[in-house]
Amino acid sequence: MSHTGTGPVVSFDNVSKHYGSLKAVDGLSLDLRPGETVALLGPNGAGKSTSLDMLLALRKPTSGKIRMFGADPYHAVKSGRVGAMLQSGGLMPEVTVRELVTLVAGFHPRPVAPDITMKRAGIAEIADQRVDRLSGGQTQRVRFALAIAGECDLVVLDEPTTAMDVETRQRFWASMKEEVAEGKTLLFATHYLEEADQAADRILVINRGRLLADGTPAEIKERAGAKRISFRLDNVSEPYLLGLPGIVSVDVRGDVVHLQSADSDATLYAVLDAGYRPREIEVGSLGLEQAFLAITAEDDRGNDTVQAQPAKEAIER
Amino acid sequence: MNGTLALAGAEIKRLRRNRRYLIFTVGLPVILYLIFSKQNATAYSVAFAAFYMVGMAAFGAFSGAFNNNTIRISQERKDGWIRQLRLTPLPPNAYVSAKIIASMATSVPAIVIVLLLGRFYGGIHMPAWKWIVIAVTIWLGTLIFAALAVAIGYLFQPDSVQPVAIALYFLFVIFGGLWFPLSGGLKSFGEITPTYWVMKISTDVINTGTIPVTGVVVILAWLVAFVALATLVVRAKAEAL
Repeated sequence: MSHTGTGPVVSFDNVSKHYGSLKAVDGLSLDLRPGETVALLGPNGAGKSTSLDMLLALRKPTSGKIRMFGADPYHAVKSGRVGAMLQSGGLMPEVTVRELVTLVAGFHPRPVAPDITMKRAGIAEIADQRVDRLSGGQTQRVRFALAIAGECDLVVLDEPTTAMDVETRQRFWASMKEEVAEGKTLLFATHYLEEADQAADRILVINRGRLLADGTPAEIKERAGAKRISFRLDNVSEPYLLGLPGIVSVDVRGDVVHLQSADSDATLYAVLDAGYRPREIEVGSLGLEQAFLAITAEDDRGNDTVQAQPAKEAIER
Repeated sequence: MNGTLALAGAEIKRLRRNRRYLIFTVGLPVILYLIFSKQNATAYSVAFAAFYMVGMAAFGAFSGAFNNNTIRISQERKDGWIRQLRLTPLPPNAYVSAKIIASMATSVPAIVIVLLLGRFYGGIHMPAWKWIVIAVTIWLGTLIFAALAVAIGYLFQPDSVQPVAIALYFLFVIFGGLWFPLSGGLKSFGEITPTYWVMKISTDVINTGTIPVTGVVVILAWLVAFVALATLVVRAKAEAL
């Protein structure tokens, strides 16, 4: 326990991973502080798994530097300070769940009693079943048990709840919260926005291997344009709407106008001040899902065309 | 080291539970010996029952270390078990070390059972040291196949590894003369295989009490080559999924 202070648990300093011309991770910089629960949120292929693989010393960055507990990732992993569960992680077949959990606990310098681990992971009732005869959700929970089989300071989970049904997922996050309550740092990758919103106190949005947003769930929603506005209005041009204050995105279909705005009041006043009289005005909040889609869509558009340049500037404001 | 041994212990437990493994490493050699050993013939200047005892002990032990491991290693690599282990505090070579330790441990009963069968069913009598030299020779031969299994298991995907493993294995079994003694052109070819020399060292020990140096050199050369190959392959594949 040489490093329990206030220094970052994990730091990425301008980390890139290239496969030929494909930039899986492209200049990623971030710090995780002790005790945080952080969601790494992004669509498939955003670079989440590659980032976690590099953090866990399974792959080497093409450039940049990763530190974990102030050491290089390999030594942090081998000192048993990290518990990890990867999508690509497998289990040893032909042994029972209990045998496997006991075996892996024995690899750790600070093992947790297997019975406690199995209870936490919700697999106590399948302890004597063979690992190769479990359902997808059960397998996932056994993988989780292996991640927490030793006392660790950082838990890394890659899409932990895939293959779990809704009830199991809730149970999973309940037990996860108990784990984290002991002061552990938790980093998990997900493309379930709800999950990031509910479980994390900080969200990192990544797309195309780059960090697009970093903040609390509330800040992420705000960043993407916190409000949506819709109304009916004839003969209004898209370029005009894009020039309105606070505008993030514009969608016009016939006389139906959908706007996303960082400042819905200012947007609406500007429309009215210009002499327009829109009908059926509705103003509402964006869900995290829409916020996330807005952020990644802006990024994708910004890379493909220059069409939505004003919107892009609004988001990077 | 404790972690590696614990993993090897778990591997041994798995093997003991695996019926297929027991059938091929112990069951099949024992049955073949019971059927074919009683022939009024000689091979490499020893009684056929003695020749066949060495052949069947080696056949079972090598099969356990090779066929079984190639398929498992390939499958466990694909399933991500090897990646999972890399996320634990275990040293990076623990997986491969545990596989080899488990192969070497489980080959002991496979060898001992067939040698006991040779003594009590085949009626082979010789001094204790000869039994020991034969057992150790076969056991060292097993190490060659355990190393090759690591290389093949890492190189091939599960859907293609089985035919490759079986083809390689029977190449060594047949051209090494585990089933029948080699002669003529086949023998000059077989003399480059480690399997031939496991047989020849054992039969020479039975017949004359001397160990052919060529055989020791050939076996060690194969061992060094396959350990080097396995090391290179495992390193090269470390970052591939």
